[in-house]
Amino acid sequence: MTVPKPTVEEMQERAAIDRSARYPVLFFFTSAAAWLFVATILGFFSSLKLCVPSLFDSCPFLGYGRLFPMHMIALVYGWAMQAGIGVMLWLMARLTKNELRYGTTMIVMGHLWNFIISLAVLSVWAGYGRSIPLLDFPVWVWPMMALTYALIVVWLIPMFRSRRNSYVYVSEMYLVGAAVWFPWIFVAANLLINKGASPVMGAGTDAWYISNLIYFWMGPIALAVAYYIIPKITARPIYSYPLAQAGFWILAVLAGWTGFSRYMGGPLPAWIPAVSGAASIFILLAVVATVANFLPSLKGQTKLWEYSPSLRFTVMGMLMFVVYAVLAALSSTFTFGKDLQFSHFQIGLDTLAFYGFFSMTVFGAIYFIVPRITNAEWPSGSRIRTHFWFSTYGIITMVVCMLVGGIAQGGDMAQWDRDFSTSFVNSSAYMVGRCIAWGLISFSNFAFLYQLGLMFVGKGRKTDGPTLIHSEPGAAADARAAAGLS
Amino acid sequence: MALGVAFAIPWLLLVLVPYISLAKLEPVAYAEDELPDGGMTQYPDKNLLRHGASDYGRDIYASEGCAYCHTQMVRPTYAGPDMWRPGWGGREDDGFARETRPQDYVTEKYAPLGYQRIGPDLANVGNRITDRALMHEHLYNPKGIDRNSGMPAYKHLYKDSPFGKGYEPTEKAEALVDYLLSLKKDQPLPAVVATGG
Repeated sequence: MTVPKPTVEEMQERAAIDRSARYPVLFFFTSAAAWLFVATILGFFSSLKLCVPSLFDSCPFLGYGRLFPMHMIALVYGWAMQAGIGVMLWLMARLTKNELRYGTTMIVMGHLWNFIISLAVLSVWAGYGRSIPLLDFPVWVWPMMALTYALIVVWLIPMFRSRRNSYVYVSEMYLVGAAVWFPWIFVAANLLINKGASPVMGAGTDAWYISNLIYFWMGPIALAVAYYIIPKITARPIYSYPLAQAGFWILAVLAGWTGFSRYMGGPLPAWIPAVSGAASIFILLAVVATVANFLPSLKGQTKLWEYSPSLRFTVMGMLMFVVYAVLAALSSTFTFGKDLQFSHFQIGLDTLAFYGFFSMTVFGAIYFIVPRITNAEWPSGSRIRTHFWFSTYGIITMVVCMLVGGIAQGGDMAQWDRDFSTSFVNSSAYMVGRCIAWGLISFSNFAFLYQLGLMFVGKGRKTDGPTLIHSEPGAAADARAAAGLS
Repeated sequence: MALGVAFAIPWLLLVLVPYISLAKLEPVAYAEDELPDGGMTQYPDKNLLRHGASDYGRDIYASEGCAYCHTQMVRPTYAGPDMWRPGWGGREDDGFARETRPQDYVTEKYAPLGYQRIGPDLANVGNRITDRALMHEHLYNPKGIDRNSGMPAYKHLYKDSPFGKGYEPTEKAEALVDYLLSLKKDQPLPAVVATGG
């Protein structure tokens, strides 16, 4: 079964929607990519500090305790948030067949968002950080962030309400979910943590926030992208709509219960991390539902992977989503968690979520969206390939090193009669791996930023036909034609 | 609507209700026959937990990102081997070693439970290192204490001594050391708390 070809009127309508989205969406993507490059450089230097702790140790601005939170803020709020917002705006406009309105307001708010995130990063750098993972910035920053986010994303709701299709696409459900859940999580976490009435629950709430950010915001956006890109590129409809809905509701019902298992065995009532652990395991049902839906669409289409950049990144992102969910579930049990808790594994797992599944999927969306809104093609297929492979090898290096290094470190820490520093010394080789991983990812994103920059300034390829991997530019009408599938 | 409910239920039951109930924890008085030495009459004893440290020291701990490499959370033996490590759970010799509890953090606004353990747990570091000069040395030159240490030197918290030799702590270093020396989360529990009654 294949999707029917669009009519000329539909093509014109789509082009009008793309034109309306051009400036805001391209603005969010480009500034996100710039932040991503900054974040990867900070990731590299913070990892280097773990390899050589005495490096620049008389300089207060180059300590791991400052560089690492800066890296996380740049990665999550600079890159992920802006890239996610760009994807949300375009995808919602396309799916609901509405032109994007208030573009100027969005660009102004986008500038404001960049300014606020710069303040957040610089304040941590200047020594005003608070050691609250992902919410390190001074207390006056978060209300500005919440307000700016709301003023950008609120326009998705009227678009969704005035949709012109008779039923709700799965991607639309995920987008609406992500749009409304994030402000609630963000405001709730900040209010409770800053109130300071229960210090232990404050720390627990932060762990809950990180997990909810992943399952309630990054997950839904990545899944919205996958439910759009995979059927588009393979030209096959979603295998089962009820299954997709089931996956959505399982995630929606369970995601809010996750997170506290980060502090299992800690000074919280023991049932709280236990419930979180159970929720992390049951979320695997949503993952199974999603995979079961995508596999039939991808069956027999493996050749498309060689040609389509969007499909390649999206499928790799989804693969990482599965790996993330499985590792998160395993580590939320005492059997595995008691040795992995607080080890290098934790940073590997968080990076797998931020870069592995979210970013890789969103790259897939960006490679699909930008040619449509700029009416030009990506300048070079080989640079896309560089971006893909260096990113993939980078994140795999990161996760494998942190997983194996985490197991080694956890094993050393469990030997209570040995010096604690043994666990640091024995895992130092894996720190070199972490450095190399960020080096690879930095390089890949330099290629991405350069290419996106060319598209931003109008230097995209203007000839016919898409830029595909392993194919001369414009040689085939689409990835299916290049792969000999149509 | 359904999206809101999906979120609201866990938020209410998992986050808000436990938050409020833990915020309302009242100190528990010791029974007459279990009063510990040191003039403590209740657990937690907020004034004694501070041991003279100021909020400023805690802020330095937070702004230098110490919590990214050090936890302050001792797990019970079923959840990890923390209690087996000498000194981590508190003063073993006096029989005070135990896992950490919510009341141990009442002097903080945010419990720095930590993100990773690149370095050792600090919940009871004030019991392990009691000498002020040694704590300064730990911050100024950690490799001098343990050559395998992965901790960077915090030299920017110190200035060179005017006498040409050694170093002088700044106000920040003094406050941080005050805070670290105050970290003792092993106040004896009244029987009614220890048994969960």
